Amino acid sequence: MIRLTDRQSLDATWQPGKLVDTFMKVLVPIKRVVDPYAKVRPLADGSGVDTTGAKFEINPFDEIAVEEAVRQKEKGAVTEIVVVSIGTSASEEQLRKALAIGADRAILVETDAVLDSPGVAALLKEVIDAERPQVVLMGKQATDDDNNQAGQMLAAKLGWGQATFAAKVELGANVTVTRETDTGEQTLSLAYPCLITTDLRLNEPRYVALPGIIKARSKPLEKRAPSTVPAAKTRTVNVELPAARPAGRKVGSVEELAAAIKERGAL
Amino acid sequence: MSETLILGASFLCGTPARSFTPEDFSSDEKMMIDTAEQFCRAEIMPHLEAIDHQEEGLMPKLIAKAGELGLCGIDSPEAYGGLGLGKNLAARILEFMSLNGSMSVTYGITSGISQVGLSLFGSDEQKAKFLPALTSGESIGAYALSEPNSGSDALSATTTAVQKGDKWVLNGTKMWISNAKWADQFLVMAKINGTDFSAFIVPRDTPGLTIAREEHKMGLKGSSTARIVLEDAEIPLDNLLYEAGKGHHVAFNALNIGRFKLSSMSIGPARNAIELAAGYSRDRKQFGKSLSEFGLIQKKLGQMAALFFVAESMIYRTGALIDEAFDLYGGTIDGNRKAAEEYAIECSACKVFSTEAEALIIDDALQIYGGYGFTEEFPIARHYRDARVSKIYEGTNEINRIFLADRFQRKLKAGSLSPLQADSWIADLAIKALHMQLDGQIQVGAASDLILLAYAEQSSRLRAAKLGDEGQALHNAAVPYLHLKAAEAWQLLTDEPLTLPKVEKVDYEALANMVHHNNGPVRFN
Ligand SMILES: Cc1cc2nc3c(=O)[nH]c(=O)nc-3n(C[C@H](O)[C@H](O)[C@H](O)COP(=O)(O)OP(=O)(O)OC[C@H]3O[C@@H](n4cnc5c(N)ncnc54)[C@H](O)[C@@H]3O)c2cc1C
Ligand SMILES: Cc1cc2nc3c(=O)[nH]c(=O)nc-3n(C[C@H](O)[C@H](O)[C@H](O)COP(=O)(O)OP(=O)(O)OC[C@H]3O[C@@H](n4cnc5c(N)ncnc54)[C@H](O)[C@@H]3O)c2cc1C
Repeated sequence: MIRLTDRQSLDATWQPGKLVDTFMKVLVPIKRVVDPYAKVRPLADGSGVDTTGAKFEINPFDEIAVEEAVRQKEKGAVTEIVVVSIGTSASEEQLRKALAIGADRAILVETDAVLDSPGVAALLKEVIDAERPQVVLMGKQATDDDNNQAGQMLAAKLGWGQATFAAKVELGANVTVTRETDTGEQTLSLAYPCLITTDLRLNEPRYVALPGIIKARSKPLEKRAPSTVPAAKTRTVNVELPAARPAGRKVGSVEELAAAIKERGAL
Repeated sequence: MSETLILGASFLCGTPARSFTPEDFSSDEKMMIDTAEQFCRAEIMPHLEAIDHQEEGLMPKLIAKAGELGLCGIDSPEAYGGLGLGKNLAARILEFMSLNGSMSVTYGITSGISQVGLSLFGSDEQKAKFLPALTSGESIGAYALSEPNSGSDALSATTTAVQKGDKWVLNGTKMWISNAKWADQFLVMAKINGTDFSAFIVPRDTPGLTIAREEHKMGLKGSSTARIVLEDAEIPLDNLLYEAGKGHHVAFNALNIGRFKLSSMSIGPARNAIELAAGYSRDRKQFGKSLSEFGLIQKKLGQMAALFFVAESMIYRTGALIDEAFDLYGGTIDGNRKAAEEYAIECSACKVFSTEAEALIIDDALQIYGGYGFTEEFPIARHYRDARVSKIYEGTNEINRIFLADRFQRKLKAGSLSPLQADSWIADLAIKALHMQLDGQIQVGAASDLILLAYAEQSSRLRAAKLGDEGQALHNAAVPYLHLKAAEAWQLLTDEPLTLPKVEKVDYEALANMVHHNNGPVRFN
């Protein structure tokens, strides 16, 4: 737990006497994405993916971020978790799920605009300026666009320190984040406020318990309109299926395998 | 909730104005169903060998884990640790907890039939004493009605209860008791003084209660089934549930709900069998092609998905009706009884259709596996063995068939139904059958078949109408089967010739593609 600083006393939701001397708000942005395990087809005109009848989920990396925030709260290191999504009212479903996992309240920035990563970062910054969390914890990428940009852009816009691809997070006097890199583990120390993006190995999200789902019904979910909708700087030109892989062939022995690999010039 | 209840058996009084389908569960409810599915796929399905060997402590641990997630008392009252939610949702959750048969029975009994008697008929004190341990999953419950010489003829039970001072003293043997090995409490049916059929709660540690060895079963090897022997077993007077001599209300209403829930339990394994067949038919190559490219295999996949669709349509339509009845009448013991009885016909129709669909689906899945399906190395053989009992317990399908037409005719005589009115070819036959003088069990059974097939066809048709092309395609694929079964039943009633109605042509290749795309039964979100 950290001591209250000037920054926290500015927090609009904080009231003197309510929480004695500690306050730690974590904000977790979450995105509604097509179920990453569902098979999807491109639209006939290549403008995107056909989502009719598809199931939607919280982006798995974001779910890891929610899980991490909840675990930190259960450990006593966090006092409030706010989840934020940008999108249409359909995203309420994912926000409710985050509330069921254990977030305290939710904000939906309501827009049907198609946003690119800078746009997402700009709208999240608006919420963060108003909410003033100590930590933003978010997925490193979304499984639909696979951009891996929004977190980094947001940290830059905020002027905050950032730790990407977190495999371990400790919230103490400072924030300590362990990252798994190709060459080994790297440990970073960050000052508050800061932004962390989550990697797959940070945790394994829990099953959403049924009583939590019932409780989530009465947790606050606030809808806000963005002050302006940022114009997209990039747009999708075409979406198509990867070329079908040529059929494989069964080999009878290691020798045959080696020969086949050589034949293809791969060895 | 609706203003007026759609009455039990009114599916033969024309097309209803509304009909619930699984797609109508709210997003919250779907989230709960997802939890059950994820739990079953991750915690149960990887451990089927250990489960089948009844690895020490494993099953109670899995039940406790399910309980921690709130899965063990979904439709039991909140005041006693349940979630106070509907029976329809509980049934859908049960379906996804039932991808494996052994888990299905263990969980189904402790979360269902062992609680429903208490929930509906228990006093507040009894509920407070016995329900919380079951709803939390800390304890496991069992339901003990059958005896060595009293199976289908349940009221002929010979277990007795005699009052001695401030105790009931029980004597007798209960046979086939699921969960016997790990149950902490038993709902036992016994006759007071050998005459008044009554229900009692018997804790496991009751002196005089012993559990015999496990039955050596053909399937469901991971579920426990054993006899319990009561020799001067003494329980407190307060453990009599409801009233002396009224145990049949407890037993049979638990069974009405139990039959409805068994329908969900039987399509759970069928779902898994379709998933397995979809995968296998894609991977296995013969004649240089995937099995799934062969017309006769596509026909099987399409037929399996269509039968599944029909069963699903009936079950969750019925569950929503039951919930409406509980909303309207429930709360008091008499009201609970009325609600549980209202759709007894629909419950039996679901039980018979779903368990027979389960058998057909699993048989076809095994056929797709060829010789490999016949071995224990592959997962279909287990389903094949496990599924066989579905047609036997919770009232054999014969008993349910006798009940169906008989109950319907009694309803007609009582005059509580609106005039019958056919909205399909099968319904027309069913109505004609109901107006016949039925001669013996074979004709009663045939009339029952027509009734339940009419309910099946209507449920599937109403759902397809909501779902667009894919739903319609599944319905169209089921119709020829339903017609044929109806024609077969009709021929037991009359020697008049019968012409089958025109049907839509079925595109089995498209259906098989749908099954492959969904990796199992078609899901509509
Ligand atoms: C794995 C397993 C688990 C079980 N779990 C439980 C449990 O937890 N609690 C419990 O109380 N019971 C349980 N049972 C018992 C089950 O409910 C009975 O097996 C069932 O009711 C049938 O009774 P029976 O086996 O004595 O067959 P019988 O009643 O002897 O029936 C044999 C055959 O005759 C037919 N038949 C019987 N009467 C008629 C009739 N009047 N007209 C036409 N045909 C008729 C039946 O349909 C059946 O085909 C379980 C059984 C099994 C196999
Ligand atoms: C107990 C047992 C004993 C056996 N004993 C012997 C033995 O003594 N000697 C011996 O040589 N073999 C034996 N067999 C093998 C048996 O003959 C094969 O299992 C059988 O020929 C089916 O082949 P398969 O199992 O490879 O299934 P597959 O050929 O893979 O078939 C799987 C499914 O696909 C269907 N299918 C396959 N091709 C087509 C197609 N072109 N069009 C439509 N559907 C298709 C099949 O009908 C089946 O439903 C035995 C098998 C068993 C289980």
